[in-house]
Amino acid sequence: MVGDVDAGKSTILGRMLVDLGQVTPAKLEELQNSSTKRGVPIEYSFLLDAFQLERDQAITLDISRIWLRMPDRDYVFVDAPGHRELIRNLLTGASEVDAAIMVVAVDEGITLQTRRQALFLQWFGFKELLVVVNKLDLADEPETAFVARRAEIRSFLEQLGITPIEIIPLAARDGDNIAVATQRWSWWKGPTLLESLAQLHPYTAPAGGPLRFVVQDVYRRDGNRLIAGLVEAGTLRKGERVVFWPLQTDAVVSAIHRWPQEVDQAKAGDAVAIALDERIFVDRGAVASYPGDGPALGHAVQATVVWLGGDPVMPGETLRLRIGTREMPVTLQRIDEVIDPDTLAGKPGDVVAKSDVAVITLAARELIAADDELETTSIGRFVLLHDTNVVAGGRVRSVIGRPRSEGATDIVAQTSSVQPNERFWRNGHRGGVFWLTGLPSAGKSTLAMTAQRMLFDRGRHVYVLDGDTLRTSLNLDLGFSEEDRSENVRRTAAVAAVLADGGFVVICALISPFADDRTKARASYPGGFHEVYVSCDLQTAEGRDVKGHYKRARAGEIARFTGISSPYEAPQNPDLAVDTTRQSIPESAATLIEYIEENTKP
Amino acid sequence: MPTQTDADLDVLESRTIYILREAFSCVSPIAMLWSIGKDSTALLWMVRKAFLGEIPFPMVLLDTGMEFPEVYAFRDRLVREWQLPIINEVCPPESTVDQTLPPAARHAARKTAGLRGLLAREGYRGIILGIRRDEQAIRAKERIFSPRNADGSWDPRTQPPELWDFFPYEVPDGAHVRIHPLLHWTELDIWRYTRREGIPYVPLYLAKDGMRFRSLGESNITIPIPSTADTLDAIVLELEKTREPERAGRTMDSESEDAFERLRTTGYM
Repeated sequence: MVGDVDAGKSTILGRMLVDLGQVTPAKLEELQNSSTKRGVPIEYSFLLDAFQLERDQAITLDISRIWLRMPDRDYVFVDAPGHRELIRNLLTGASEVDAAIMVVAVDEGITLQTRRQALFLQWFGFKELLVVVNKLDLADEPETAFVARRAEIRSFLEQLGITPIEIIPLAARDGDNIAVATQRWSWWKGPTLLESLAQLHPYTAPAGGPLRFVVQDVYRRDGNRLIAGLVEAGTLRKGERVVFWPLQTDAVVSAIHRWPQEVDQAKAGDAVAIALDERIFVDRGAVASYPGDGPALGHAVQATVVWLGGDPVMPGETLRLRIGTREMPVTLQRIDEVIDPDTLAGKPGDVVAKSDVAVITLAARELIAADDELETTSIGRFVLLHDTNVVAGGRVRSVIGRPRSEGATDIVAQTSSVQPNERFWRNGHRGGVFWLTGLPSAGKSTLAMTAQRMLFDRGRHVYVLDGDTLRTSLNLDLGFSEEDRSENVRRTAAVAAVLADGGFVVICALISPFADDRTKARASYPGGFHEVYVSCDLQTAEGRDVKGHYKRARAGEIARFTGISSPYEAPQNPDLAVDTTRQSIPESAATLIEYIEENTKP
Repeated sequence: MPTQTDADLDVLESRTIYILREAFSCVSPIAMLWSIGKDSTALLWMVRKAFLGEIPFPMVLLDTGMEFPEVYAFRDRLVREWQLPIINEVCPPESTVDQTLPPAARHAARKTAGLRGLLAREGYRGIILGIRRDEQAIRAKERIFSPRNADGSWDPRTQPPELWDFFPYEVPDGAHVRIHPLLHWTELDIWRYTRREGIPYVPLYLAKDGMRFRSLGESNITIPIPSTADTLDAIVLELEKTREPERAGRTMDSESEDAFERLRTTGYM
């Protein structure tokens, strides 16, 4: 039961129980007493709103469930709170039901909160929706008011692609059209709410179609390893070969235990434990399928989420993903769009805030096995946690980063080659070479180290190649002649290119005084080389003289010192220039980091 | 009268087994409260199924010393026959609990105090309980995994979301999570399941001289109901017809409007 605050959800359910004779005279009397105590006429909602606070404030705080036994089948009604602040409770209720009843008060119509709730329902993938227009007893012209609301509701739901099964007029306090057909609205020929329930269909797990067996744990019994889990889709059969994702190990099911029995097969919905014919690595979090019928695999997923967390999030945020029975850290890679509840249209956004519905992309270092086609498996949906708090629920739209595999038998054909796009989906960013050139003491190394620390803290794979440091190892044999300086740049550029190819953000800090050498360096990593001019006037640099080299050069103790006794060819068209004479290191670092982030986005 | 096949019981059972396995995998150390009533005994049966004949965590009886003699006899029999790992936790005396509570509720408060003592001593982070949502309107609001504060109290206004089967199992040090694998069962389901599986039960549930116990609490605060149901079949038939609430014989629930809420928010089961 969903709807805005005060639309009458709890009252409808309470009244239904009373009308069906499921409330004892003693309970009715108790209800009357509780109502009188609070100075209200008999309040049917108290049958559900059991908390003192709920009764005192006449609102529902948390979901409640009631059972209704009917001749054809039993129903469980979940009463959800309408308050915007309580959407975590609404969604908890929505995630456990098969169909929804939306309550609209005739005097209020479709409110913003109703729009939000409908959006949540659409996001949850509800196929079946009943709508009731309540409080018709308040309308002067009930038929006119109802017809107008019905048209409004229809056109609104149409925008969401939802077709309601019925739209029924109600007066919950008086009992019209709940369990008993109205006596006063002769124009209404349709069913009561109770009658229309027969048109709803309960969800049954799909026994046909692909197999999904989600592993919860591995138990040792009598020297055997038994893999315990839930069949979520398809049928698991003894004697068949299954593949465990994402590692793609495979084995034949040699036994299916439903203690104390053994069975030959288990259908969707069954919790079982299986034995395998050979010992392979399987642990909690794995998902089994038949070969050739597995989930999609990748390092990133695009998903629709409802945000529950109090703090807004932006790209770069690290969260924990729980999908199926697996858990892993992920980075919020991108906010693709945020849905506007007013217009229901998606629009680009920089942040996702509480109660937003948004499309986002998440990237993980681990491989994610997820269902982007099967709607109801636990690897087709997920929650996100920040610390230990659930901050979002999501449904997978697509898995990015690797084509759908044909199954275990194709592992060899896939080869061990790792595609560049796989690297950047795993890392969450591209590799690149950021070449810092400038006079001695211009601030290149300091800037590189500052940027490295900050980028590392943002989860980036980053490495600094520092000219002075490399001269103590790789370039130990080189001096400061023009030739040696060129060779120094060439080698450093080659190493940088290898690292960048491997997915690293490489920051090189070298004087690299000659334009020609830098042009060659650019050619070693085409498309991803960025020349950053760290400028600083000679006077300032000499004033800093971090290593005391200027002083010694002036004294003639160091020959061919750039800026003093050797030329520095400043870049004519650098990709980025930072001026450390006028900017502090944190300011320069911010400029550099912004530039790097912009140029290593997936 | 409509007859339901037992297929619905398989669905209920699998869900409970799934929840038990999640609890055991994700929460440690963990224990289960076994009140020896029909619900927690059915749950104990499903623990054996979930873990393939083993019982991998202790069964705890919060013992007020006031249970019926038949209950103690049943406990001793099952401990022996099923080799149960059991902790018989003797609860603090009535003089130690809140004296503003109505008299019958003080037994519940003793159990709450007993549980608090057990948690402090054993450091459990998870406690499995056989409560059901259809028992009582406050319990109808429970989550499957329900985090408790360090003092064992429950704040229903700040319950975390529980989306699909992603249960919130992490709690801060000193706090614990209550795990409720039977919330989705009804009283009728429990008896149909007990009948189908041949699960043992305390004989007090069967009618004798026109009376039977529908719900078992302490012997001095639980009253039997008029009934002729002296077999499981008869109990099932009786429940299919009745409108009377299950806990009508539990005096502590109805001593005041908020009695049960007060008990639960301070840590009662």
